[in-house]
Amino acid sequence: MRAKVSAFMAAGLLCLTIAPRTHAEADSVFAKANAEYAAGHFREAITDYESLVKAHQWSTSLFYDLGNAYFRVGDLGRAILNYERALALDPSQPEAQANLRLVRDQARALELAKSWPEEHLAFLTSNQYAWAAAAAFWCAACMICAFYFARRGSVVWIFTLLLLSAICVGSAFAVYAFENGSTGRDLAIVTGKKIQARLATADNAGAVLVLPPGSEVKILSTRGNWTYAALPNELRGWIPAESAERVRL
Amino acid sequence: MEIPMFRRVLFVALIAIAGMPCARADSPAVTAVLTSSEAEVDQPVQLQIKVTGGSGATPPSDIAVDGLDIRYSGSSQEFRLNGLNASSSVVYNYTVLPLKAGTFTIPPQVVHAAGGLLRTPALTLNVAPNDGAAAGSRRGANALDERKMVFAELVIPRTSAYVGEIVPAEIRLGFNTRVRARLADGPNLIGQGFTTQRMPQPQQSIETIDGRAYQVVTFKTAIAAARSGKFEIGPVEAKAIVQVPRRSGSRTRSPFDIFGMDDPFSDPFFNDPFAGLAEQREIKIQSQPVTLEVKPLPPNAPPGFSGAVGIFNLTTDVKPKTAQIGDPLTATASISGRGNFDRVTAPIMESDRGWHTYPPSSTFKPDDDIGISGTKSFELVLTPNERKDAVPPLIFTYFDPLKEKYVTLKGDKLPVVVEGGAAPAVTPAFASSSVPTTPVAAGPTPESQAQDILYQVTDHENWGQTFAPIFMCPVFWTAQAVPLLGLIGFFGWKSRQRRLENREAQKRATWEHETSELQKKLRRADESPDRYFAEALRLVQLKTALARKVEPNTVDAESAVAAFQLSGEKRDRVRELFRRSDELRYSGGQDGDGMVAEETRHEVLELIDSLS
Repeated sequence: MRAKVSAFMAAGLLCLTIAPRTHAEADSVFAKANAEYAAGHFREAITDYESLVKAHQWSTSLFYDLGNAYFRVGDLGRAILNYERALALDPSQPEAQANLRLVRDQARALELAKSWPEEHLAFLTSNQYAWAAAAAFWCAACMICAFYFARRGSVVWIFTLLLLSAICVGSAFAVYAFENGSTGRDLAIVTGKKIQARLATADNAGAVLVLPPGSEVKILSTRGNWTYAALPNELRGWIPAESAERVRL
Repeated sequence: MEIPMFRRVLFVALIAIAGMPCARADSPAVTAVLTSSEAEVDQPVQLQIKVTGGSGATPPSDIAVDGLDIRYSGSSQEFRLNGLNASSSVVYNYTVLPLKAGTFTIPPQVVHAAGGLLRTPALTLNVAPNDGAAAGSRRGANALDERKMVFAELVIPRTSAYVGEIVPAEIRLGFNTRVRARLADGPNLIGQGFTTQRMPQPQQSIETIDGRAYQVVTFKTAIAAARSGKFEIGPVEAKAIVQVPRRSGSRTRSPFDIFGMDDPFSDPFFNDPFAGLAEQREIKIQSQPVTLEVKPLPPNAPPGFSGAVGIFNLTTDVKPKTAQIGDPLTATASISGRGNFDRVTAPIMESDRGWHTYPPSSTFKPDDDIGISGTKSFELVLTPNERKDAVPPLIFTYFDPLKEKYVTLKGDKLPVVVEGGAAPAVTPAFASSSVPTTPVAAGPTPESQAQDILYQVTDHENWGQTFAPIFMCPVFWTAQAVPLLGLIGFFGWKSRQRRLENREAQKRATWEHETSELQKKLRRADESPDRYFAEALRLVQLKTALARKVEPNTVDAESAVAAFQLSGEKRDRVRELFRRSDELRYSGGQDGDGMVAEETRHEVLELIDSLS
């Protein structure tokens, strides 16, 4: 028992020691990449930014700057991908929003149609809805508990309980809709050029839609080197798996 | 008198019974006759195969003779009682339609009857060419020539057209008003290398052609050639069911009735009363084909030409007239006129620089039944990427077959006011303060230099962010432990409180019960003084405990006095009660004869009752 406690404490200390060092290293790599970008060495900057991505040192600024670097080298698809990643981490980042809009226009990228909940419940993020659902749940649970002991209720009491239940269920539904919607976990961005969605997993199969770089697709399934995806304009088709990358890593 | 009569009847009956087996024992026989051995082309005659004495005969289902169209038309059964001899026969009827002139032999036909095979004799039919006038005179007023019953006509007003050009066409089907006819199939326009527009509901009219009245059904359509060359359009084919009057000669006399003794019940009318008045016939109607020469479109078509051929007009509009950069505008283009609207595509912008266009939507409103004239409207959603004062003109190109050249329609410049919103174009590319900024080195840049992205962000915060949604992070579920523990604590505290309250209530109930019992005991006069005073003391303690919510055993004289705020005499009496009880309990002293005096008991009870 004592040995276990010791091991646990050692691991904790190790984490506390390593984490700042890792963050310090990430800081220096990030600063170096920014300097290369400022010097116009965009490809070197991309290499450094990507090294941070591979090291799981993710941040909104990192993906935003990486998107800018890709834009500078003319890779609009990956620029859009990284702006989307920045917004996935912080949906309110204004610079990423502005640049994404600009690059999307230039790339003529196609966007997935938003579902009704995504369109009308977008005033909170998925995470905020998750917290709201949890808070409403616990408030409702406390009210039920208090009701149990008080053994008397009123119309206001019942109305409040119903309201909290509705908030809980509605928020959970919003979380589900967001996670499975066009901006959810299966959102991917087309990074390849001259990509055509096809009816079957063959290069000579009939074309469904031409996807400009940066277009949004929703990955439905994968078979070998092909991915079956929901496409803009309410279409579906197969695209080469390497031609699109998921936004969420 | 009666006996000879009876004998006569008996005799006839015996003869009949004796003759019946003879009739039944007749061997089956078959004969075949034509109603006429002479006919003309398209003049039908009847073939009748008569099977006598054979029950369950199977007639030939298909009689094939080159030049004759022979079709089974029904059967009739015949019973004959000839004296004492009864016989039955079945006549199978066939309609023989000569298709060409010549001498034809209908070969012997095999009939299965009574378990055996019977053969009909071979029949000869001489068919003469059809002479209209002669036939008309021979058939009489009710007989109609099939060629005069119906006709089909394909009317194409043009002899030449361009590839893709819409050419109107009219299909006319005429039915002689003297026959009842209905269209069974079609009309179908036969041919290759052209497309046909859908045919709306036909128009019907009565027309007189060559002195005959026809009900004319007119189908309107249009054709468009898919390639150049000389085409044969048509023929138009259709099938119709017509009812023609049955010829009078075929009813008058059966060919088997050689002695002219035909009975009226052998008439086919009794098999099918309506068929006896008219006969139905399916006929094929065919028109003459029409030749159309299709010319190719001139080479060097302008860019944007999508194959539209015809005469068109273009009108454009845009809404709203004022917008911010990035806001959508809807440009409407209406192309009206006459031509192949299926090849009319959305007009293109003269210059899309600074605009982001989305795929257009279209609606078509036809002005006619076949959809070759009308208005096709397109809606193009545009978003300006920069400040603009007008939407560039929309351009539509088509080929005019009358002018025989390509025509490019250019809409007006549509004035709008697009004002800068976020206007990222004017933001410098490098506006970071923490990193020294240098001009962007020459290198591959996106096509649009007019707009640029925003600056780098050099501030870094919270490395190690995750894409996982919050509900998949441990911190979320750890946070749920706080309200959970709080809820559990609250629940436990309330439960314990309730339990304690329950215990207190039980204790009070016990005390109240004991108080009640003691009050009853004290009213009785059978207690010894020590017990009486002990019970009186207990009663005071219980009353004090109930009043003050304390343990009865802890109550002494002073606390009882304080509990009921007694003063004066009552206070002294309570103290005396406690004193006497202690004295009796500890000293064992007796009072009187061992019973409590009535006066004392009364005083004690009065004191106890006053404690409230």
